[in-house]
Amino acid sequence: MPDNFNTILGLYKEQYEKPAMSDKAVFKMKQRMEQGKKEKRLMAKKKTYKGWAIAAAVALAILILPNTSGTIAHAMGNIPVLGGFFKVITFRNYQYDDGRNIADVAVPEVTTEGIVDSSAAETGRKTAEEINAEIRDITDKWVEEFKSNMEGEGYQNTTIDSEVIATTENYFTLKLTCFHAAGDGYEENHFYTIDLNTGEKIELADLFKEGSDYKKVISENIKKQMKEQMAADDSIMYWVDNEEYPEWNFKEITDDTSFYINENGEIVICFNEGDVAPAVMGTVEFTIPKAIVADIMN
Amino acid sequence: MFSRGKKQDTKEEIIEQTILKKYNSYYRMAMSFVHNEADAADIVQEGAYKAIKNSDSLKYVEYAETWIYRIMMNEIYRRLDTKKFDSIDDEIFVQIQVEDKYENIDLKRALNSMHAKDKAVIQLKYFEGLKLDEIAYILGEKLSTVKSRLYRGLKKLRCEIDDCGMKGDEHNAG
Repeated sequence: MPDNFNTILGLYKEQYEKPAMSDKAVFKMKQRMEQGKKEKRLMAKKKTYKGWAIAAAVALAILILPNTSGTIAHAMGNIPVLGGFFKVITFRNYQYDDGRNIADVAVPEVTTEGIVDSSAAETGRKTAEEINAEIRDITDKWVEEFKSNMEGEGYQNTTIDSEVIATTENYFTLKLTCFHAAGDGYEENHFYTIDLNTGEKIELADLFKEGSDYKKVISENIKKQMKEQMAADDSIMYWVDNEEYPEWNFKEITDDTSFYINENGEIVICFNEGDVAPAVMGTVEFTIPKAIVADIMN
Repeated sequence: MFSRGKKQDTKEEIIEQTILKKYNSYYRMAMSFVHNEADAADIVQEGAYKAIKNSDSLKYVEYAETWIYRIMMNEIYRRLDTKKFDSIDDEIFVQIQVEDKYENIDLKRALNSMHAKDKAVIQLKYFEGLKLDEIAYILGEKLSTVKSRLYRGLKKLRCEIDDCGMKGDEHNAG
């Protein structure tokens, strides 16, 4: 009975073709695709160091497509107000793509909201200005460098992005990530942590009692973690106990060492590429257990 | 004629464009198995993410479309697995909750009693217009297996509708 069969197949088809993805679901799909690109880029970046320089360089160069970046900018703009006062807005202030030189630069700006009239709020406004000025200096420098490299023959990709990490009751941290690829990749992170109670930008020293040797305590713990990780996994390598190049070995954190406070209230120490490990390890972080620093913290 | 690098960036672009063009096809396929918008959207989102992330492992750009289908199909199976459908193995019937989706009771009954992969074959062939060898690649099966699935699936559909009483008949078809 072919006629009857065709009717039923038609009905089946009609039902089958009814569902359509919602705009929201499509938006999320696009976000996931961007995520996939990002992760692919990181994988390619690691391969670069293993000698696949040419293939990776080109793969890296196509990561950001201009038509999709608008959605990211939009998503970033929706970040909620932090601690009831601070807010981060992202401006995509530089974009370029000629197939060979690709830049996608999103600059975050910390803003303060509302008319809170207190000394903490006043401090907060100043802190925000200082941080914004510093971020502008960094991003301007990266864009300049990108532009000056454009005259060359090679491929290059510059990406600057940011995220708010680890918002706790007392602190929030803005992370600025700068990535540049030309043959091999280089990533650099900057962290800005604000104390939501005082409105001040905090340094590592502010967290500890005066006179305490927090640098030593933290550094010893980091060395211990490095050794443990290396013992557990052959692919992990840090500059610690290295007899060949003892001068490269990690000795102690400094006043400039980056950090943030995670949602568990633990201090996380962050190093840029090449600081404490071969560049192939990328940027690395160490979470310092609370118990280690409990005695000396404020 | 192209350097190795050039080929790779073309792949990612082609995959991205294909997904942006075809996402509703993947979504429909997912819906026909999970019958739930959230799960179906999740499948497509995960599949799209994996396809982009692994775009370098696509060997021939000509097959981008089937390659993505294969990833999506695997996502569907994975989802069915975790949703305690026991296994998507071909001997398992997918008991779906079509409810009011299919007004036609015969059609509903036919789809309910069809093997998951047989159903996929029919849908890919008749609704997505794919060739049998492409479907074989998507399902990771031999062409002959796909042919018997098509035969068995159609027979099921036809018989449920015409009420020809094929109880136990599917054993003879494969």
